[in-house]
Amino acid sequence: MPDGARGRSEPILEVNDLKTIFRTRDGEVHAVNDVSFAVKPGELLGVVGESGSGKSVTMMSLMGLLPMPPAEIVKGEIRYDGRDVRAMSPAELRDLRGGDVGFVFQDPMTSLNPVFTVGYQIVEPLRVHLGLSKKAARVRAAELLALVGIPDATARLRDYPHQFSGGMRQRVMIAIALACDPKVLIADEPTTALDVTIQAQIIELVKDLREKLGMAIIWITHDLGVVAGIADRVMVMYGGQIVEHGPVRELFARPQHPYTRALLETVPRVDGTRDARLRSIEGQPPNLAAHPASCPFAARCGHVMDRCLRENPARRDVGAGHDVACFWDPATGGLRDAG
Amino acid sequence: MLDNPQNVLVRVDGLKMHFPIYAGILRRQVGTVKAVDGLTFEIFDGETLGLVGESGCGKSTAGRAILRLYDPTEGKLEIEGRDISTIKGDALRNLRPKMQMIFQDPQACLNPRMTVGSIIAEPLDEHQAMSKEERQARVLELMDQVGLNRDFAGRYPHEFSGGQRQRIGIARALALNPKFIVCDEPIAALDVSIQAQVVNLLEDLQERLGLTYLFISHDLSMVRHLATRVAVMYLGRIVELAPREALYDRPKHPYTEALLSAVPNPDPETEADRKRIILQGDVPSPANPPKGCNFCTRCPKVMDICRTETPAFRHYGNGHHAACHLLEGA
Repeated sequence: MPDGARGRSEPILEVNDLKTIFRTRDGEVHAVNDVSFAVKPGELLGVVGESGSGKSVTMMSLMGLLPMPPAEIVKGEIRYDGRDVRAMSPAELRDLRGGDVGFVFQDPMTSLNPVFTVGYQIVEPLRVHLGLSKKAARVRAAELLALVGIPDATARLRDYPHQFSGGMRQRVMIAIALACDPKVLIADEPTTALDVTIQAQIIELVKDLREKLGMAIIWITHDLGVVAGIADRVMVMYGGQIVEHGPVRELFARPQHPYTRALLETVPRVDGTRDARLRSIEGQPPNLAAHPASCPFAARCGHVMDRCLRENPARRDVGAGHDVACFWDPATGGLRDAG
Repeated sequence: MLDNPQNVLVRVDGLKMHFPIYAGILRRQVGTVKAVDGLTFEIFDGETLGLVGESGCGKSTAGRAILRLYDPTEGKLEIEGRDISTIKGDALRNLRPKMQMIFQDPQACLNPRMTVGSIIAEPLDEHQAMSKEERQARVLELMDQVGLNRDFAGRYPHEFSGGQRQRIGIARALALNPKFIVCDEPIAALDVSIQAQVVNLLEDLQERLGLTYLFISHDLSMVRHLATRVAVMYLGRIVELAPREALYDRPKHPYTEALLSAVPNPDPETEADRKRIILQGDVPSPANPPKGCNFCTRCPKVMDICRTETPAFRHYGNGHHAACHLLEGA
């Protein structure tokens, strides 16, 4: 795999050929198709994709957060710190979640329990995972709230979620995710529901915490601007597959996949030149009812060739840790050399 | 796009929209949410005025009040020179065809039990006496206009994707040949690749039909693309209003500066060492706004006068308006 070749340290989380399907009344939905990636300690991996691209389902599959059935992990290998996650018992998995792996979800109002105080919800993982006494957990909880920048932390432990604003609630979510010193933090669109000025606060906070605590972060978003500012590496997903992956500067400077290129062109900016007309990507995202025998982007691609309709391209290395799943070569405008 | 930039279509003067808060067993009024607290601006014929701000700043309330979906607490509204701030009943109803709205959530604003054809035809039934054939012809014409397949007129909203549903909402808004459309976050619920399709459609329609838009959005980059002039709202008031280039290149108000600097750009080279103005804290509650300038609790350049006196909304030349004490002395 392209990821394994770079860097010295061992990945903390490694995923190989993961495939997740949903069995519904209308047939199977192939939500995640042969997804492979790895994250090293201290690294921030950005995952970009539209709704339905499989980015959230991938991350939820990793930690057994999907309801099964209807979901089913058909194949693939998930390794956390060398241990096989798929072989773990429910109790081991529960230890991993909230312990070594923290989650932050998009909507802080629906993921916090409205009838318990914020303090109770931060103390809970500390007591369960770390076995702290009530008193010690309370002290640690106040430290965590202070760490994520909530003023008057000890007093606010007694408050309920509705007494916090949106940005503050997201800080509480981050505090809960950080409670047990996770080695990996999975953040699923953590700033999407927030205003830009609050988003800027949260991004600064996460950058800061990452430096202080040195954990690996997987940051799922649909906003290319956010990824450009914080990620070390970026993975672009489309139709349940990884279509392009590479170091952030390399990927933004030399996007290879027509989808990534179109995505970068279609987003207007607040500075620089302003185009008279937006470049749009015509058509709709693919229906994932069948395992794709062709490239999932073929129907919307401006460079579609015969081969794209017959075969689903595999990811191939294009140098500098950058890989792409596409037959088209932007350098020549024709078929990429069969590697 | 502007044929005659001085031709005012909509005039808003001192618009206030306050909502009472009732509490206790006697449901007595204990306070007021000042959602919109004194807006004054004009919208020129054929332009797109962008109205930006964070959630809760009152931008949607302003849009709805301008269309008289609410009864404004105070202030004057004019459309084509006619005062509409207090008209009622049939007089207001007869004006409705002129001013329409496109909503944010195309899932929630379309009746799931009606076919697309009947959704688009509903305003025609309400406001125009048409024969069945005329009506059907108009529905199909509208579907063509917004890029929906004619054959789908008999389908229900759930059979469409988000972008297509937004097209249905646009077709319905266009049905009565309006002059003025309030677009309330029409692309916020859509994926990036679909947003561009809808924005391009709105621009095409504006050019073809000579529409005037009030484009309400929190997406500053999209507003920069679409709007001719931009108004920035904070806590119920407009803090700055200027032509697009002036606002994005030379913002005058500290809030506009902070807002622009908070928008992430899709460029890792510049993003890594960009200096951001990080605003501290949250937006105060509109039920209890601070004394003086509304922005004084978060403003990085706050002065003593800001905490006592409300800055006036003044014109600083070339259509650039702002309300800030920093500018008063200059």
